[in-house]
Amino acid sequence: MRASKTSIPMLILIFGLAPWAGPAFAQASPPRYSADALYNLANSYARAGKPGLAVLCYERAALLAPDDADINANLEYVRASAHVAVKARGRFARLVQAVNPTTAAWLGVLGVALVGTALLARRIAPRSRWLPGGGIVLGIALIALTACNAMLLWPRMHEAVVLVDQTPARVSPVPMADTAFVLREAQSVTMTAEHEDFILIRSSGGLSGWVARANLGAVVPPVGAER
Amino acid sequence: MHWIRVSFAMLCLLAPAGYAMAQADDALAYETIEPVRIKLGESATLRVTSFSRLKAFALPSVSGLVFEEIRRSDGFDFINGAAIPAKFILIRVTPQFAGVFSIPGLTPNSRPIGLEVVNGDEPDPYTWRSQQPAPPPVPSVALPKGVQLQARGAAFVHLAIPTRAIYVGESVPVDVDVGLRPGIVTSVNGLPALKGSDFTFDNPSKQPERREESIEGSTFVVLTWHGALAAVKPGDFSLSAQAPLTVKMSSLSATDQAVASRLAWPLLQNLYNGIAPRDLTIESSASRLKVLPLPTEGQPENFSGAVGEFRVSSDAAPARVAAGEPLTLRLHISGAGNFDRVHSTMLDHLDHWKTYPAKSSFTPSDAVGYQGEKVFEQPLIAAQPGEQSIPGLEFSYFNPNTRRYERAQTPPITVTVTTSLAGGSLDALAGAPSPNGAAPTGSARGLRPDHPPARESVGDLRPLYFRVSFLAVPATLALILAGSGFAVRPGAARATSKAAERVLAQLDAAARAGDSSSFFEAARTALLRTFAARWQMPAEQITVAELKARLGTTGEDVERLLVLAEEARYSHDRPGGTDFQRWLGLIRGQLAGERE
Repeated sequence: MRASKTSIPMLILIFGLAPWAGPAFAQASPPRYSADALYNLANSYARAGKPGLAVLCYERAALLAPDDADINANLEYVRASAHVAVKARGRFARLVQAVNPTTAAWLGVLGVALVGTALLARRIAPRSRWLPGGGIVLGIALIALTACNAMLLWPRMHEAVVLVDQTPARVSPVPMADTAFVLREAQSVTMTAEHEDFILIRSSGGLSGWVARANLGAVVPPVGAER
Repeated sequence: MHWIRVSFAMLCLLAPAGYAMAQADDALAYETIEPVRIKLGESATLRVTSFSRLKAFALPSVSGLVFEEIRRSDGFDFINGAAIPAKFILIRVTPQFAGVFSIPGLTPNSRPIGLEVVNGDEPDPYTWRSQQPAPPPVPSVALPKGVQLQARGAAFVHLAIPTRAIYVGESVPVDVDVGLRPGIVTSVNGLPALKGSDFTFDNPSKQPERREESIEGSTFVVLTWHGALAAVKPGDFSLSAQAPLTVKMSSLSATDQAVASRLAWPLLQNLYNGIAPRDLTIESSASRLKVLPLPTEGQPENFSGAVGEFRVSSDAAPARVAAGEPLTLRLHISGAGNFDRVHSTMLDHLDHWKTYPAKSSFTPSDAVGYQGEKVFEQPLIAAQPGEQSIPGLEFSYFNPNTRRYERAQTPPITVTVTTSLAGGSLDALAGAPSPNGAAPTGSARGLRPDHPPARESVGDLRPLYFRVSFLAVPATLALILAGSGFAVRPGAARATSKAAERVLAQLDAAARAGDSSSFFEAARTALLRTFAARWQMPAEQITVAELKARLGTTGEDVERLLVLAEEARYSHDRPGGTDFQRWLGLIRGQLAGERE
């Protein structure tokens, strides 16, 4: 009798998730970006003396494989060669980002499933306390891992790399506006707003200015944008 | 007297017929000689073809020529496309000096035959008549030792294998020669095959070599298939080759053929001979082959089964490469042997280099792949600049000639690895002063090498958890789990248990406050509700008799408690001497009994 009580919610769970899980998996597989291909492309740009494009490709590769030692080493090397400040990652960031974002996403889903199932089990069988309790703790830990991974990656969703050396950051989004400061090629900036062909950026030093869209490469390109 | 006259008359009538028969016997024979022009030291073959009985004849006597009868045989001769049974006599003619000789006819009505013998490479005076070069003369050869003509002299098959012992796994070249008399053998119905299951016959050539040879006075087309033979286990084996053919043969018995040969007229013979094409398989004589096992003593660890004679060399290209860029290391293994067993893992690991799996390609230099060159190519990527030495490569094989394992090693290769961005503008950037005047912080290590081709790819750079379509997954999951939680009601026992706990807490509070009225009222309500649930009856129908009947002696205490509750309800009495702990124990016991 108890088995039938538990199997009904599980069936609901499985059949309820099926319409969503299929498209989610399907959307994850179109063959367009690959960490290795981006890494090799970045190496080619680096050898060709194009540090801006090289850093952009390394950043994109690092999004897909954040724990790849080759990607991080070459990114650091090219930035150092181009005299661009290198952001050092903390121990916590390295620990959290050791998990691939895709894996982290599915671990989060697993955490939600664990917590929900454990709560359900406690409601159905209140006497068994340890197993549901362990499931809840593990599920919350997985959700926390995913959340930390997402929080660390969130700023990079709005990052861009300067592709042209001596790119002027202007005080207003017009071509003839005064130059507020100059950006080096391969420098990473944060995009905060956009207006027509200009993007408002904030440098790592806290300076803000408008930069021509053509001089920047977004680390995460908008959907449908040309790579 | 009468019989004498009759006999004489019959003899007179038969005499012309007998004479005609004898004349026919003499006329149905002819001679040919091939070739008609030979060099001094060579021999020509004089062939006598007779369609009737061969009379005893003497070899001719010509000054300067030596005649030697080779053999006599029965067969067929083709006249106007028809096969006629015939008898053949082959005579070898060997000149003793140069000149033009006339050989008289061996049969009474045959004409003399001319033979020209020259000293050396003198031009043939007859070739000026033709614009085309004269076809080369068909060489006259003898049948290989142990080979016999089959299909009534129309074909033979010969298997040529090494005479020495071979080793298991060793690949040795073999030739299968199939000789065919054109016109008699009409087709070859497939590739020749080896008879024997302990061998593999690899790479037989699809198109055989073709040549013409004169064997025992008859022209044969000899087809030669080349292949490689390998033994799968040791032992002494017998090996032969088979070839499927279609041969025009007579279906008559030997007696019938003898009758046909006496018909003295080709047309009648043709009507009687019963020639028809027939499928048959001819087989060569068996050859003995000894197969030895490979010795286990001294076998190298990296021995892959290669048996033969090999030479190795290696090279790397380019000799100067930037760190991170690939170069190709090649190992060339050439020679003769079983190249299908020639393997090399190249370099599994090399410090300061990134190694990739090697690929191989084989270029045969003969038709069967017994000789050739196998090249192993391995991409390497240098991770560290400077003069790098790639160690030599080793290849082990078994040499059947020396009968021992041999190791072939290539010398080390020195490669110059420059820094990864040498010559590029990034290197110039690294050397340039930084804006704040600090020394360049770039490492001199250079770029790390490229990765192998990608295996996984995604359609969007955004992580999954930042996509709305994916966020719907955990959201839906949470909704379904929450819905399931609402759908699953807690058990009745658990609800009752919680209600009992609440009542006990309420009674505890009343006892601590000394409120006997509230205590007994709550106790009465809880007990009646508990008994009603336990006995499946309305609470108002529970009587004193029912309590005594179901609870026994405990029923009296319960009855006393209910009486006190009635008193407390109507009198609002606050007796100071109420033993709350006793009543609490009673109530807890009843409620606990319900839970169990």
